[in-house]
Amino acid sequence: MPGYAIVLASGQLERLQAVSNIASIAAASDIPVEVFATMDGLEAFDKDRIAAMDFEMGPVGEAMLSNEDMDMALFVDNLARASELGPISLYACELSMDALQKGLDEYADVFDDVLGVSGFLTHAADKQVIFV
Amino acid sequence: MSETELDADVTVDSRGATCPGPLMDLIGHVRTADAGTVFELLTTDSASKHDVPEWVEKAGHETLGVVDHDDEGYWSIFVRTAR
Repeated sequence: MPGYAIVLASGQLERLQAVSNIASIAAASDIPVEVFATMDGLEAFDKDRIAAMDFEMGPVGEAMLSNEDMDMALFVDNLARASELGPISLYACELSMDALQKGLDEYADVFDDVLGVSGFLTHAADKQVIFV
Repeated sequence: MSETELDADVTVDSRGATCPGPLMDLIGHVRTADAGTVFELLTTDSASKHDVPEWVEKAGHETLGVVDHDDEGYWSIFVRTAR
């Protein structure tokens, strides 16, 4: 199976979690996954933002974080774990970084490389593209 | 199915973890296990009852049974690795 190329453009916690869940299980099932974090989707991986749990969220996100009976792994941890289990690659959008004048070291240490649009399209050429 | 009918070689306790945690816990163990190993996955995540057997079938392993420990709020899912 050629796999999935996921464009993660949203910084909303529910969407981040959903993408990480799907990508993680796909990769753990040996389905190739490429995740391109761009715009607000990349900003969600900012180290300070993760430390402060500063995410846009709706009622489901709030419920997941506040429920003491639910031990929810954060999207960034799911993706890091998935990298150990299967064929998943994460890329940070160069444009988004340039716009904020940030370096990759300011984001969680889960990215394999920095890509522009052309680079992403090359990686996505044989895959089903999912835009979130 | 009665849990006394099934014996596990390895118990994976994922109680408290939410989707996809229990399945990822199981996959991590299955990948390094010998063929014929029986796992018991303990989970409080209700989606696991369907998700785990679904993955097990796709991966070519065998689901031996799902035991509902209703009084304690979790399920045991028994899986035997085929390869």
